[in-house]
Amino acid sequence: MDEIYKKLTKVFREVFDDDSIVLTPETTADDIEDWDSIEHINLIAAVEDAFGMRFQMREVSGMKNVGEMVQIIKSRI
Amino acid sequence: MVFSSLFFLYLFLPLCLLVYWLTPKIEYKNIVLIIFSLIFYAWGEPLWVLLLLFSATANYLCGLLIEKYRGRTGAKASLIVSLLLNLGMLFVFKYSAFTVENINALFSLHLPVPSIRLPIGISFYTFQTISYTVDCYWEKIHAQRSYTKFLLYVCMFPQLVAGPIVRYSSIESELTRRYASVSDISAGLTRIMIGLGKKVILSNHLSTIVDAFFAGDMQHISVAGTWYAVAVYAMQIYFDFSGYSDMAIGLGRLFGFHFDENFRHPFLCKDITEFWQRWHISLGTCFRDYLLYSPIVGKRRAYGGLFLVWFCTGLWHGASWNFIIWGLYFGIFICFERLLGKKRIKKIPVVLRHIYSKIVIVIGFGIFYFEQLPRLGLFFRNLIGLNGNGLIDEFTKISVANNLYLLIGALICCFPVLETLEKLAKKSESRQMAFGIFQTVCNGALLVFSSIFLVDATNNPFLYFRF
Repeated sequence: MDEIYKKLTKVFREVFDDDSIVLTPETTADDIEDWDSIEHINLIAAVEDAFGMRFQMREVSGMKNVGEMVQIIKSRI
Repeated sequence: MVFSSLFFLYLFLPLCLLVYWLTPKIEYKNIVLIIFSLIFYAWGEPLWVLLLLFSATANYLCGLLIEKYRGRTGAKASLIVSLLLNLGMLFVFKYSAFTVENINALFSLHLPVPSIRLPIGISFYTFQTISYTVDCYWEKIHAQRSYTKFLLYVCMFPQLVAGPIVRYSSIESELTRRYASVSDISAGLTRIMIGLGKKVILSNHLSTIVDAFFAGDMQHISVAGTWYAVAVYAMQIYFDFSGYSDMAIGLGRLFGFHFDENFRHPFLCKDITEFWQRWHISLGTCFRDYLLYSPIVGKRRAYGGLFLVWFCTGLWHGASWNFIIWGLYFGIFICFERLLGKKRIKKIPVVLRHIYSKIVIVIGFGIFYFEQLPRLGLFFRNLIGLNGNGLIDEFTKISVANNLYLLIGALICCFPVLETLEKLAKKSESRQMAFGIFQTVCNGALLVFSSIFLVDATNNPFLYFRF
C-alpha cells in the first residue's frame, strides 16, 4: 500500500509540477490547485502508464478522492 | 407552449397547480404532472409527443435490462441499444438534412434532402435519457422500476423543452418523496418572475435592437455599430436562455423539485474556461462526464478530449457549420488558456482579463448569430472596418440614445444584484423584512409589466427552443 502511495505521489508531483504535494486517502481535486477536469485526463494517463493498468470510463469520471484511486489501482496490479 | 405566454401564466399554470395541490398522495400527483406535461408538449407538437413517449418507454426498458443483466454482456448490449436509439433519433431528426447537404456539396451529388421539422426539446430530453442509461450502466444509480416515475423524469414540463438538462441522480429521491414548503413556493415564484422579466422585458426588447442591425443586408453598419449590436446580442441570448432556466428552476420548486443551477452570472468571468463553468452548466457537466475522458485512438489525450467536447458542444447547438465553428472557437481559447497555465494567467491584471474574455465572448456570439457563412464573413469585415463604413454612424448613436435605459438596466442585471441585496438583508431582522416587502413588490411589478408586454407581443419563442 505504501509503495502505491509513494509511486502515486511521484506521478502527481510530475503532472502538477509541484513538489510539495503530499497524498492522503482523503486528498481531492479541491486540495490541488491545478487539478481540474482537463488536467484530470493527463493525470489519469500518467497513472495508467506508471502502474501499467487501465481505468474504466465510469471510474475516471466517478473517483471521489485519492483513496478511491488507490483502491482501484490495487485491484488491478 | 411557452412559459412567456399569457395562456401559460394565467390559465395553464394556475390550473395545473390547483389540480396538483388538491390531489392527495405523491403517486397521483406524479400522474397529474405527467398529464399536464404531455398537454404542454402536445400543444405545439401534437405528433412528436409520440416520439417523446417512445423515447421514454424505450429508455425505461433499457434501464431495467441493464439492471437485470448487470455484469454480463446483456447489460452492455442494452446500453448500446439505448445509445444507438438516442443518438440515432437525434441524428435523423436534427442532423440528417445537414449531413445530406454536405454529402451533396462534397461529391457534387443531388440526393434528396430530407425536410423534417425538429421536434422541440429533442436535444435536451435525449441527453437526459442518455445520462440515465449510462449512469445506470456505470452503477451510479439504480434503474427506476416505476414507469410513471421515469416518465415524469423525462417529460416534466418545467425542464422538458429547453433545459436545464436534469440528471436523474439529482432528483431521484424527489420522484418518490418531495414537499414544497412555503419557502420553496415563495422562492419558486420569485425565480419565475425574474425569469419572465429577463425574457419579456429585457431579451425581447434587446432583440429588436439586434435585428435592426443584423437582420438587413448589413452593408452600411459601422465598426462601432457592429460591436454594439453583437454585444447587445450576447446579452439578449443570456437573458433569453438564463430567463428560461430561471423559470424552469422556479416552476420545479413549486412542485418540490430542486434542479441544479444552469447559469452563474457568466459575464463576470475573467477567462473563457471560467465562462463555461458559469454558462449552460448542465450541458458542460454532461460533456465532461460522458465525453471528455473517452480514450481517443487507444489513448487518453487531453487536447483530443477537448477537441471532441468542443466540436460536440458546437454541433449540439445546431446542424450548421457556424455552430461547429462557434464550438471549436471556444475550444481554441480554452486550449490557449491551458497552454498559458493558471499561474501565469493569474499574474495578468484583472482588468485586462475581463477585457480579453468579454471580447472573445462577444465575437463568439457573432459566430453564433450568423448561420449563413457569407453573412458571417460580412460581419467579421464590419467588425474591423474592412467594408469602409467608418468608425461610427448616426444610426448607432440614435439606437444607443433611444435605448439608453434598457441598456443600462440590462447591464446591471448581468451582475448578481439580487444575491448582493439578499446578503445585505441577512444582516438584521428589520432589513430582512424590508427586503421581503421589496421582493414582493418587485415580483408584482415584474408580472404586471411582463403581462402588458405580452399582450402586445405576437410571438416570442425562446431562442433555445431551436436546439
